[in-house]
Amino acid sequence: MFKNYLKLAIRNLWKNKAFSAINIIGLSLGLAVCITILLFVQYERNFDGMHKKNIYRLDEVQSWEGMVQPQKVALSMYPMGPSLKNDFPEVKNYVRIFDFEKAGLEYKNKHVYLEKVFWTDSSFFNVFDYKLVKGNSRQVLTQPNSVVLTEESAEKLFGQEDPMGKSVSTYNMRDTIHFTVTGIMENVPENSHLQFNGLYSLSSIVNPNDTTDGGNRWGGNWLVTYLELADNSNTKNMETRFPKFLQKYMGPEIIKGYQLFLQPLNKVHNGSSDITHDYHNFRKFDESYTNIFFIIAFIVLIIACVNFINLSTARAARRSKEVGVRKSIGAHRFQLVFQFLGESILLAFIAMVIAIVLVFLFLPFVNNLSEHQLSLSFIRQPVLLLQLILGTTVVGIISGIYPAFYLSSFKPVKVLKGIISTGKNKSFGRNVLVIGQFASATFLIISTVFVVKQLSFMRNKDAGFNKEQIVMTTGAYKRYAELKIALEANTLVKGVTGSSQRMGNNFHQTGFNYKGAGPVKNLASSHVYVDSDFLSLYKIQLVAGKDFTKEGNGKEYIVNESLAKELLKETPKASFESLIGQRFWTNEDSMSTIVGVAKDFNFNSLHNKIETLALINQKDGGFHDISVKIDGARAKEAIDFISATYKSICVSAPYEYQFLDEHFENLYKSDAKVSKVVSLLAVIAIIIACLGLLGLASYSAETRVKEIGIRKVLGASVSNIVSLLSKDFLKLVLIANIIAWPLAWFLLGRWLENYAFRIDISIWVFAIAGFVSLLIALLAVSSQTFKAAVTNPVKNLRTE
Amino acid sequence: MIELKNIFKWVNQGGNRIFLLKDIDLTINEGEFVSIMGPSGSGKSTLLNLIGMLDGFDEGEYNFMGQSVKNLKEKQRSEIYKQNVGFVFQAYHLIDELTVYENIETPLLYKDFKSSERKAMVSDILDRFNFVGKKDLFPNQLSGGQQQLVGIARALISRPKLILADEPTGNLNSKQGEEIMELFTKLNADEGVTIVQVTHSEKNAAYGSRVIHLLDGRMENK
Repeated sequence: MFKNYLKLAIRNLWKNKAFSAINIIGLSLGLAVCITILLFVQYERNFDGMHKKNIYRLDEVQSWEGMVQPQKVALSMYPMGPSLKNDFPEVKNYVRIFDFEKAGLEYKNKHVYLEKVFWTDSSFFNVFDYKLVKGNSRQVLTQPNSVVLTEESAEKLFGQEDPMGKSVSTYNMRDTIHFTVTGIMENVPENSHLQFNGLYSLSSIVNPNDTTDGGNRWGGNWLVTYLELADNSNTKNMETRFPKFLQKYMGPEIIKGYQLFLQPLNKVHNGSSDITHDYHNFRKFDESYTNIFFIIAFIVLIIACVNFINLSTARAARRSKEVGVRKSIGAHRFQLVFQFLGESILLAFIAMVIAIVLVFLFLPFVNNLSEHQLSLSFIRQPVLLLQLILGTTVVGIISGIYPAFYLSSFKPVKVLKGIISTGKNKSFGRNVLVIGQFASATFLIISTVFVVKQLSFMRNKDAGFNKEQIVMTTGAYKRYAELKIALEANTLVKGVTGSSQRMGNNFHQTGFNYKGAGPVKNLASSHVYVDSDFLSLYKIQLVAGKDFTKEGNGKEYIVNESLAKELLKETPKASFESLIGQRFWTNEDSMSTIVGVAKDFNFNSLHNKIETLALINQKDGGFHDISVKIDGARAKEAIDFISATYKSICVSAPYEYQFLDEHFENLYKSDAKVSKVVSLLAVIAIIIACLGLLGLASYSAETRVKEIGIRKVLGASVSNIVSLLSKDFLKLVLIANIIAWPLAWFLLGRWLENYAFRIDISIWVFAIAGFVSLLIALLAVSSQTFKAAVTNPVKNLRTE
Repeated sequence: MIELKNIFKWVNQGGNRIFLLKDIDLTINEGEFVSIMGPSGSGKSTLLNLIGMLDGFDEGEYNFMGQSVKNLKEKQRSEIYKQNVGFVFQAYHLIDELTVYENIETPLLYKDFKSSERKAMVSDILDRFNFVGKKDLFPNQLSGGQQQLVGIARALISRPKLILADEPTGNLNSKQGEEIMELFTKLNADEGVTIVQVTHSEKNAAYGSRVIHLLDGRMENK
């Protein structure tokens, strides 16, 4: 029996090639999209999956006086880890991680430059499951001045030599430190949110018992703490005990500005989109995007299933005879239902095989687009393969169940006489489905336009400062002044300035004191140390006061408008001018004042609101980040010149540069990724929906062949016929648009709320999306209707 | 075997009740060969479908092998039908996508015969109809007469007690028609299969043991 059905199903598919092709192409595309999205989601969810222990990251919520909004940060204080282990029985172990700049390592005059080397506790290998190749996991980082290198880094520095026990030194830091190699570890897997090339023992730079060391005290948030908890620990309960814990060590007032919370390790990669100062979070991803992808993949698949439903019921007339015959020779209705379901399931499986091939072929392209390393290897896992088979069966059932019941409902007496009820009622259901398809597709088109627009808006919005033709480099420190003079001597360079942090990075916050008319006010604000010509190089405008002076080094502050408003909160009527000359300081001994108020500028990504900011004119000790404004017309020459100059002055420091606008592009990378994926999916959805429309149009032309013939005999022109046949479909697409518009308007409005700086929802996008969907539908339909319209009517009427 | 009492069947069309069958009283015994005649639209096919339980009626009583059809559930009705009735159509109604062999085999699939049994039964009937050489052909590769023979073979495969034939020779030339009629006569005589056929032709009607005339849904007295 089964064999018979299979045979029949294959013959049917073969006989109706156009119908089968439309369904199989549509379903394969839909399934390929689903497989890819599933791979994608699986990849994102399996991030950090190599660690088996119950690990949490300790995060803070800071809400200090002076901040525009409270912020969640991935940073914590040095004593928190050990104190938590001491006070909370749930905490089995802790590990802290810190990194402040790229590591230059030297061995026998060979210089190697490593992107990231963490300073960390000796417990690192006990908490995390990174694998050591050489060395004992309990001992590698216990001694100060120990270093563990990844195999890749070790090979860079030592070649074939055995690195164990060898001494290496840093060459780019302010002080040279010597380290002994105590271990070699496997390279960090790509799906780890911590990415590093080596580990230094944290005890090399901080001594927990040294009372003169500022680093080991409560108050400074400068490292990331991970806690290993006992299994089944109640983290909610722990979090309720954190305020008491903080008060115990930092006094009763502390809880006004601080809260602590625990983030499970498997949420760090996916669930940290609202956490700032999150420096060690490789390819940080917003989990809500996976949900969006899921929904879109589902929509695409449903659109493909609807094609099957529509085409099967539309073609019912052709199969009705078979149904009648089978019933009249004794088939029970359910036997027919199973037969038809079998056919749709078979079709789904053919589509699945093609889908897998498609995914296999296009995965490199997808990986390139989304910067992931997805692979189809999961198909070898029996459980997942089973899920795939089950999923395909479900897809077959979803698309086949309605046609199966519909087809099997035919009364043999009627169908065998040739009376088939495929009248208006049946096409009503079909029309609803077509409307649904096109509403979804139009919705996706509109969404794509807005996602792309928002992204280009963020890229191109005037940030309030000039970021064109600025080359960023780092690491000169005390050689800064010398480097600046050398660079500015050449006409290729328009200007050089320095800052403690780079534009586009989330500037650190610290506490400030302000003495205006009233009592001294304490508040926190982002801050950055800059050279006196910083504002002029970046063309940041002042709304009050004047720019920094060279002589004012160490004594001058410029605040941004947000901070100025915060300072004047108690006296809202006072002008910004009233701030000029008022005392503003971090340490009591500095006699510093506010000299100017700068217009707000987006020193952060446009995801965030503009925070309060204090710029400090302070060049003692040089700068970490150097901005070089170059002659854009001779960029290549300028870069070569900067490189040569840098190398001649900062002999041992590694030279790297980046254009500032590239740096800003990177801030929107994950948005760019999403917009690419959404656009691609929208295109696929439209293709599938049009395939369905094409099928329906050809069916409709076929069933109305006699009508067309009669009309032509009566004198209708080709264009009359085409418009007659196209009209019905275009009406559906129009209704679909009317449904899609308010839905898109509402949902996109909510999506845009995620952005502090966002585009307006403009009506013309809707109009264009509507026009495009109509045009595409018209193209799909008219190819069929035109064919029907130009056929010789005599041919069609003769058969009657 | 078949007992129809005061059967009425009608449709409502725009407030008018149009009678398809009026007051039909008919008894057909096992082993009979009955021909139903009448002009187009007289209700012949309707009556045949009613007898075959493919169609219902609005008033009256119908007993099939002693069971009242009206009170049967859909499932029971289809069970009785499967066991006892074979249908032969004017337009043959073979399934185009199936070969001769598979077309004949299909009724057995719905009766849950084992694969080996099916094979034996189909081979047997192919033999009888001299179709062994044509068993892998598709319907469109056969002549009309051959297709109708396949249709009859398919009706006979499940060894029905009753064969209902709706103008079985209507699409055939006279020579092919004669062959079919002789086959029916032989089946009726040798195997005792009850046959009810609808026909336009006096000549074919004469093969039957009894002829019923219908006019406007009413049985005419002979």
